[in-house]
Amino acid sequence: MNIEIASVDSVIIYFGDTITKENSLKVKAAYKILKELNNSALIEIVPSYVSVLLTYDTFKYNYKEIKELLEKELKDIKISSINEESKNIVTIDVYYDKEVGFDLEEVAKKSNLSVDEVIALHSSKLYDVYAIGFLPGFAYLASVDERLKTSRLETPRKKIPKGSVAIADTQTAVYPKDSPGGWNILGRTAFKLFDKSLETLSLITIDSKVKFNPITKEQFLSQGGEL
Amino acid sequence: MSSGFEVIKAGAFTLIEDKGRFSFMNIGVTNSGFLDEFAALKAHKILNNSYDCNLLEITFAGIKLKATANTIVSITGAKCEFKINSIEKSTWQSYNIKKDDILEITKILKGQRVYLAVKDGFTITKELGSYSTTLKEQLGAFEGRVLKNGDYLPFSEQKNFLKKRLKKEYIPEYKDELVLRVVLSYQQNSFSFKEKEKFFNSIYTITPDLNRMACKLSGESIKSELNGIISEGIAFGAIQIPKDGQPIILLKERQTIGGYPKIGSVLSIDCFKLAQMRPGQKIRFEEISISLAQEKLKKFYSNFIQ
Repeated sequence: MNIEIASVDSVIIYFGDTITKENSLKVKAAYKILKELNNSALIEIVPSYVSVLLTYDTFKYNYKEIKELLEKELKDIKISSINEESKNIVTIDVYYDKEVGFDLEEVAKKSNLSVDEVIALHSSKLYDVYAIGFLPGFAYLASVDERLKTSRLETPRKKIPKGSVAIADTQTAVYPKDSPGGWNILGRTAFKLFDKSLETLSLITIDSKVKFNPITKEQFLSQGGEL
Repeated sequence: MSSGFEVIKAGAFTLIEDKGRFSFMNIGVTNSGFLDEFAALKAHKILNNSYDCNLLEITFAGIKLKATANTIVSITGAKCEFKINSIEKSTWQSYNIKKDDILEITKILKGQRVYLAVKDGFTITKELGSYSTTLKEQLGAFEGRVLKNGDYLPFSEQKNFLKKRLKKEYIPEYKDELVLRVVLSYQQNSFSFKEKEKFFNSIYTITPDLNRMACKLSGESIKSELNGIISEGIAFGAIQIPKDGQPIILLKERQTIGGYPKIGSVLSIDCFKLAQMRPGQKIRFEEISISLAQEKLKKFYSNFIQ
């Protein structure tokens, strides 16, 4: 663990410098500990792949004091303390088809697989959430099967439709709203990633695991999916 | 009829803002909030408002409001042509507004953003703990969009009047050049002594890419030894250096996480001054220690403690 200054009122805690499951588990454990302190002086706690950014109230702690607090609280982070059998498995129904999955055929071609094999590989894994950001509810999920690894588009699209399920390198994600982006799109979901009507706002949190479930066009439309 | 302002002309970029939206960055929701906290909080202070109140952040002139009841307003921020019933008034003070009065901002003369507060704020509902409009997330007042002609800004009618004016010495002067104090942070060790020297000895120009998310600069190119980094949380004021070496200062509506190396972060209270700068104007960076920076920050907010 390494604590660095991030700004006048924030620090960043690093748990490693490579994207690994172990580092991600440390981030999640630290995030949980900091949340559970329920300390109003800890204003923002932003977990990502290998780090946690923390914004704090400088009227309560100066840099030296916050560093001491963090060193004390995060001293014995045990990654085993995170239950790997996460109860929070979120299933996202996906309509995989070239009609909405603009890059489905290209990804299959590049990976020397059939379209059906791409769908089967993408929907067979249980993904970990590595980070949430970029847009409200945009969850970075990993890792996709090595065989599906496809680099980002050279020219990003100006508009990726809301609900698009996409991959980039070993990551996969769902676009919570229309936005520009350069990931390879495989399909579309009617699942709401950011829902202002929910108390939790997002059904996916850093502790979730995510599974994709292939559905038909009819099912997608009946769930409120839009073409 | 209820009490409020009828928006006759909305202006091109008028938003409702407050201190910002906090504790949702972990699910990707940006802080948002007024960009120039000094001017915005002073506008509230003049009215004895709570600092949690909302107000209007007006980036381009052309706004025209009609009062349907009595209230008190204060105007701060950019130097502008501000008129009540076509009579020119000065800013950084309170005005008692009567039913049917017309308020207008016809020209912004110096600076970039004008703040218009009413006594006790506009009576609208918060979204995720804040009134702040965030366009890209469609959150906050008016479902996250800019104010438009025909909108209605409700406030509670005021019976008492108030006269308050800020002393001239406290009114900031918006200059064409600004020095921003920087706390070295994040990936600062990936910048060699020579690169840091270049960074602190150069004059940068503000490009037209200046908005509520970020301020892009042009000038001496800075190199990090790192090509990119693993995406991580971005602090207010963080200075990221993309591959082209041109610094980008991240502001209130920044993305929550990102992957460029960062040399440091601009002291937040200096970002408030940056919010009043315009494209083409110049800035320079100066290093400040974390302890001094925290002292300055506390001193700034001590003026606004109720």
